[in-house]
Amino acid sequence: MSQQAMQHAEDFRAGHALGLDHRKLGMWFFIASEVMFFGGLLAAFLHYKYTLGFPETAELNVVLVGINTMVLLTSSYTVVSALTAIRQGRQGRFIAFLLVTILLGVAFLSGQIYEFADLYRQGVTLTSGVFGSSFFTLTGFHGLHVAAGVLWAIVTLFRGLRGTLNAEHNMAVEIFGLYWHFVDIVWIVLFTQIYLIV
Amino acid sequence: MQGSATRPQKSRPGYGVIFLGLVVLTAIELGINLLRILPPLSTALYLLFSGLKVALVAAFYMHLRKDSRLYTAVFVLPVLLLLVFALLTIAI
Repeated sequence: MSQQAMQHAEDFRAGHALGLDHRKLGMWFFIASEVMFFGGLLAAFLHYKYTLGFPETAELNVVLVGINTMVLLTSSYTVVSALTAIRQGRQGRFIAFLLVTILLGVAFLSGQIYEFADLYRQGVTLTSGVFGSSFFTLTGFHGLHVAAGVLWAIVTLFRGLRGTLNAEHNMAVEIFGLYWHFVDIVWIVLFTQIYLIV
Repeated sequence: MQGSATRPQKSRPGYGVIFLGLVVLTAIELGINLLRILPPLSTALYLLFSGLKVALVAAFYMHLRKDSRLYTAVFVLPVLLLLVFALLTIAI
């Protein structure tokens, strides 16, 4: 085996190829698949929006969802701040920022549950029509992703408390951050397409 | 090894500045909605601001600005495909 091939094999065993971390590259491929997943749901929503008109959008509470959007944007800031803190070996700040992220994630989900309950009271349900089906499917799946992110943040928090994450070993935090920021990006797009553009 | 996949760091705004930018853009979007600015102007502004917000989060918070271009390609290619897909669904 040539020296170059041996170097590649050594890099692969060490978790790197092409100078890239396998876990991080894997997360980016997962995100790519999620783009297509949400893309499909959004395309269906947009198709019906532009063919049927969706008068139900008048029932949507844009201000409440706008505040919820601010909450999610803030959580992205706290996640990236948590990553900076752990890279600097500042364990206390890392724990604090992660705790705030979890609280913000729960706050976002609470806002979404309140919005869903309000729509149900007004007769817009999962089975009330095309708008209800496509709206609840799209935003519901996003909410599930936020819930999964909150659970992931809790696991990361416990790993931080046990001391397994530190200035040298923090790739788990970066990968969690990529997921969380992607969920934030999806919401930025959904907020524009569902709530703002008429 | 990872260092070889990272582009040389340029001077960049801090995460706090990016966060403020995201909040201001969202506040402007809400303002456009409350002022009831009509399409197509409002639609163009919403698309511009949401595109800016996505770019800011991806470039700075997800570190695509300084990470390997391969990560950018893995993310951008399906997004481009999605845009084509969305335009086709609107056109049908």
